[in-house]
Amino acid sequence: MDEMKFKRTKQNLGAFWGNFGLPLIFIIIVIVFSAANPSFATSYNLLSNLGFASYVGIAAIGMTFVIMTRNFDISIGSMLALVAVLGSSFIPRIGGVLGVISTILISCFLGFVNGIFVTKLRIPAFITTLGMLFIFRSLAYIYTNNVPVYISDRFWLYIGNGKLFGVLPFPILLMAVCYGAAYLLLRNSPVGRYIIAVGTNSRAAALSGINVDNIKILVFTLLGFFVGVASIVNSANLGAANPGLMGQNYEFQVITAVVLGGTALSGGNGSLGGSLVAALIVTFLGNGMGLMQVNSYWQLVATGLVMIFAVSLNKLKFYLLGQGEF
Amino acid sequence: MIKFLKLYEKIGIFILIVVAGIFLAIASSNFLKTDTILNIITQGTYGAIVGFGMVLAITSGGFDLSVDAVVALTSVFLSILIPNIGIPLAIIISILISCFVGFLNGIIITKFGVNPLITTLSMATIVRGVALLIAKGKQIPISVIKFSAIGTGKLLGIPVPIWVMLVIFIIFYILLYQTPLGRHISAVGSNENAARISGLNVVFVKIIVYVLVALTASINGVIRTSQAMIGLPSMAPGFTLLVITITILGGTSLAGGKGNIIGAVFAGIFISMIYYGLNLVGVQYFYQLLSVGLILLFALFVDGLRQRYLESAKIKGIRV
Repeated sequence: MDEMKFKRTKQNLGAFWGNFGLPLIFIIIVIVFSAANPSFATSYNLLSNLGFASYVGIAAIGMTFVIMTRNFDISIGSMLALVAVLGSSFIPRIGGVLGVISTILISCFLGFVNGIFVTKLRIPAFITTLGMLFIFRSLAYIYTNNVPVYISDRFWLYIGNGKLFGVLPFPILLMAVCYGAAYLLLRNSPVGRYIIAVGTNSRAAALSGINVDNIKILVFTLLGFFVGVASIVNSANLGAANPGLMGQNYEFQVITAVVLGGTALSGGNGSLGGSLVAALIVTFLGNGMGLMQVNSYWQLVATGLVMIFAVSLNKLKFYLLGQGEF
Repeated sequence: MIKFLKLYEKIGIFILIVVAGIFLAIASSNFLKTDTILNIITQGTYGAIVGFGMVLAITSGGFDLSVDAVVALTSVFLSILIPNIGIPLAIIISILISCFVGFLNGIIITKFGVNPLITTLSMATIVRGVALLIAKGKQIPISVIKFSAIGTGKLLGIPVPIWVMLVIFIIFYILLYQTPLGRHISAVGSNENAARISGLNVVFVKIIVYVLVALTASINGVIRTSQAMIGLPSMAPGFTLLVITITILGGTSLAGGKGNIIGAVFAGIFISMIYYGLNLVGVQYFYQLLSVGLILLFALFVDGLRQRYLESAKIKGIRV
C-alpha cells in the first residue's frame, strides 16, 4: 500500500515538475535579478530581453526537431556567422528584401548539406557538424578577410531592432510566429508525426513506410532555416555581420535551451514550449549576470554547469515518471 | 575487394604520407632535409600524443571534446606553479589536476548517465572558463629557462617531444593490445551490454579511459607550454577537431571496439605535412582549419563507403 502511495507521489512530483518546473525557475530568476538590480526590472529591459531571447529561441525550434530525431547539430554558430556575412554582403547589389531571402535560402541549403552528409553518407551527425563548424567559420573568415560587413539597410535592421507600436520589439513577434508555425507542424501534420516516429524508433518507422532519410534531411534543413532567421535578427542587433564574433558558443546555448526544455537526447520526446521557456531562462540568466557585472569567464563556467545540471534534471524527471532508471 | 579494404584499413595512411611526401619534395627544396623532417614529426607529435588517448575513448564507444581545454588548463597551472614549487613537482601536480578533470568526465558519464558528447562539451566550457579565471584572462610568462628543455631540447640529436611520443606510444600500444584492460576497453566499445553481462566492470573501464585521455592532453600541454614559455588560457583552440581527425584518419572506427594506435602516429605526421605544405604556399590560418575540416569529412566519407561495402558483403554471405 505504502509502495503504491510512494509511486503515486513520485509520479505526481514528476508530472508537476514536467509542467511547471521551468516556468517556476524562470519566475524565480526574474524575481532574484529584479531584487538584486533595480535596472533589471524595468519594462524596457524586460521587453528587450524578450527580443534578445529570439536569438536562442528561434534556432531552438529547429534544434528541438533535430534532437527529436536523435541527431545533433553543433555547426549552427559558424553557420549563423557565415550566412550573415554572405547575405549582408549581397545587400548593395540586390537590396535588403532579396538579401534577407537569400540569407535564409543559403542557410537552408547549408542545413540540407548537413542532412545529406548524415543520411546519405552515414557520417554521425555530431562529427559531420563538428567538421562543418570549422569549415563554415573558416569560409566566413576567408570570404570577408576577417573584416565585419556593416549593415545599413532599413528593412534588414527593422527585423532585429524594429518596434511594433513603438514598444514591442519586432523579434518577439517573429519568434511567436515561428513557434506557432512549428507547433502546428509538429502536432497537426503528418510530418510532425513522422518526426516523432523516426526519433522513437527509426527501424519501425522505416518498416511502416516512412522515408527516414528524407525526414532527417528535412529537420536539418528546417534548422538551417531557423538559424537563417536568427542570423538576420542577430546581425541587425549588432549593426554588422562579424565573421569572428557572431555565434560564438551559440550551439552550446541553443542545445542547453532545448535539453533544459525537456527534449530527451534519446529522441522522440520533444517539447517546443519547454524550449521556448528554457531559451528565456538562458537569455535572462546571461543578461542578469551581465548587469550584475559577473566576470564573463564565470559566465562560461556557469553555462557549462547549467548544461550538465539540465541533462541530469531531465533524467530525474523521467525517473520520477517511471519512464527510466536514474 | 575485401582484401584490398583490409589492407587499406592498415596502410591507407602510409599511401597518403608517401603521396604528400612526393608533392612536398617537388614543391620545396628544403623538404628533404633532416631538420625539416624532424620539425614536421615534432609538430606531428602534438596531435598524435592526444590521439593515443582519443583512440582509447573512441574504442570504448565514447568521445572526449574537452582535450583542448585541458591543454590550456595544464598550461596555466604550469606557469603559476613552476616559480613556486619547481619544475618536476609542478608538472606532476598539473598532470594530476588534468587527470581529475578526466575522472569527473568519467563519473558524470557513467554515474549520472549523461551522454559523453554533452558531458565533455560542457566540461570543455567549464575547464576553459576556469583556466581563464585562474590566469585572469592574461598570458603568464615563465622565466625558468630550464623548463624549455622539454619542448625544444634534443636527446641524441632527436627532439625531446619525439622521445616523449615514443614512450607514450609504447605504453598505450601494450595497454590496448596486450593487457586485459585493453581487451575490456574494446569489449565495452563493441557491445556494452554484453560486456556488462559477462562481468566486466564497465564503469571502472570507462572512468580509466577518460582519465587516460586527460593524461595525454595534459602531457601535450606540458610540451606546448615548454615551447612557448608562457601559460596561455586560450591555448589550442580547435585542437579537439584535429585530434579526432587524426584518430579517424589513423583507422580507428567510430563505431567503437576497434582502435588503431599506430595509425594515429602516422595520421599525426600526415596532418603536420599538410600544415607544412600550406605554410609553403603561404596561406592563412583559416585555410588550415578549412583543410582539416575537409580532410575529416573525406576520411569519414571513405570510412562510410567501406562500412557499407562490408555490410553488403556480409548480407551476401561473404566472410569478412
